[in-house]
Amino acid sequence: MRSSITIFFVLFNILLCFVWSAAKKLKDEDFSEFDDFDEDEFIVEAPSPSGASPLPSKTQSNQPDLTNNDGPSQSSSSKTIEQKNNDDVTIDDDDDLMFDEEEFEASDSFGSSSSSSIPDLKITDVPHNLTGNRWEAYHCEAIMIIVLLIYLINFLIGRSKNSRLATIIYNSQHDLLERNFSLVGDNGQTRNIQSTDEQINNDIISNNMHKESESLYILWCSGRISIESMLIEIRFIKRQCLFNSLAALIKSINDMIIYTIDYTKDDIETFVFCLAKKRSAVKLHRDMNDLSQFCSERKNADKRGLSGNYQILSEIGEVSSSIIDNRVVDFIDKFPDALEYIHISDQYTGMKVQNDNQQSSSNSSLNNTNITSNTSNATQQQDALNLSERSVRRVLIIAFNLIAFNDRSLQVTTESISSDYLRFVLYLADRINSYRFTSKESKTKAIKNRQRIEEQFLKNVYQQRQEQAQQRREEKRRAEKEKIMQSDDPEKQRKWEEKEHKREMKRRQPKMKQMKIKAM
Amino acid sequence: MDNRRPARIHRFRPALITQADDALPDYMNLMGMIFSMCSLMLKIKWCAWVAIFAALVGFANSRTSDDAKQVLSSFMLSISAVVVTYMQNPAPMTIPFMQ
Repeated sequence: MRSSITIFFVLFNILLCFVWSAAKKLKDEDFSEFDDFDEDEFIVEAPSPSGASPLPSKTQSNQPDLTNNDGPSQSSSSKTIEQKNNDDVTIDDDDDLMFDEEEFEASDSFGSSSSSSIPDLKITDVPHNLTGNRWEAYHCEAIMIIVLLIYLINFLIGRSKNSRLATIIYNSQHDLLERNFSLVGDNGQTRNIQSTDEQINNDIISNNMHKESESLYILWCSGRISIESMLIEIRFIKRQCLFNSLAALIKSINDMIIYTIDYTKDDIETFVFCLAKKRSAVKLHRDMNDLSQFCSERKNADKRGLSGNYQILSEIGEVSSSIIDNRVVDFIDKFPDALEYIHISDQYTGMKVQNDNQQSSSNSSLNNTNITSNTSNATQQQDALNLSERSVRRVLIIAFNLIAFNDRSLQVTTESISSDYLRFVLYLADRINSYRFTSKESKTKAIKNRQRIEEQFLKNVYQQRQEQAQQRREEKRRAEKEKIMQSDDPEKQRKWEEKEHKREMKRRQPKMKQMKIKAM
Repeated sequence: MDNRRPARIHRFRPALITQADDALPDYMNLMGMIFSMCSLMLKIKWCAWVAIFAALVGFANSRTSDDAKQVLSSFMLSISAVVVTYMQNPAPMTIPFMQ
């Protein structure tokens, strides 16, 4: 698809050329009637015979002079010209004589007589865009086309830069990934991934990252101890879009690489923890379901030996000191500003706004079907209500910024540090897999929190179910009513109204009963 | 020590990608179509050019999983809007609020 765009733009340019040539033709045809100047005389001479009769004496007097001056061949034409001239001349005799004399003096040449008699033509103004240099008048269009071309060139450059960076990252991490995972690279569409020979021959499991969009590249890895799967997402700045790249300059957005590791239920201890830079900590605390539900406050990470730039959100106190060990501190010291956030959770349900989408898609995944997140709202709600437990994921999410260090270019920096990032991620993944609470109180606290949240969730589900049932009942009643009204049978209508009345009385009765007991 | 476990392989599901709230390509497609219609019906030239821009921005920001036909149809509509508007009136474009 991308390569056919160039064909479209070539076609577009050809179309523009056609349009302009058509415009030129039109212009020529529109004003072709004014090109031939000889026609003017024929048009103006037409009324002359009718105007000749009031001035017969003049023509007669002029005639002998004419025959003297002009040749016989020119006599008829000069006569007509004089008739025309006499028509345009004023009625005053003296003036006529003066004009006539002037005419006779100049009547030797055909051209001079015609030039002295200026026809009373009204020359209308030709529109300025059709005169002179037409191409310069199209300056707005030229500006538009130049901007389009600039955008297109920026698109091509940005796309190739992002693609090159993705390839560099893949190449630098590839060996380590192959050594740690038995499946590296899967776009979810291939059927057979058994033997390594097929992997090599299979085009779909390609030896590069999978492109989701011009600025998002992913790589799926699976088949390792202690980990269910790992998804590597590289989120580039949208260099392919001119407006986005300008906005990125202003907002100082970075390229990011995000590792999302999924665990099974038994692989991980039950806690929610987040270490993040201040700006990310605020956003995550606000947007992430689990962080807002389980972590009440944000603390500065000064005490752990980190700079004041980082904040901690933790459910259980002892977790912070165990997770943030020497290796983590060393890493942050070695690569300042590289680590954006570490998010560990056994109750991960995504962001608040997209919670419904996440729930439905993970519900359907439990049923082993491959439904995208674009299911209808009705089925989403239905799925959410049918499940008695929340669908949670156990995840470790680490996000790094890809920034150029030490005045080297981004490409060079990325090449040298990608494998370091991956080693850190794998170390942390193994660490979390082997970590267990040291004190029983932490465990009981965690269990209590989860029970609380579960109860809230069940309450919500129950409320929603009630509302839905109520709605269904009302709709049913409305349908019945319509049916009865349409049937035009007064007997039936009366019966139905009686039924309704009884139902209303029944509903109100219990309340009345209660009041009676109280009074007694 | 070999950490690989072929028995623990799980297949990729597209739903696992963290959804970014990015509706820009959809908005741009919609805008492109609206401006194309405006330019064709009301014979406004700058609408047609804005439609081309919108289609181009929508294409640049689109995801690979998006339907290519949608983007291409938006493109073709905007180009046809430009061509038809200029066929009807070959005069140069005038931007109304800059005169």
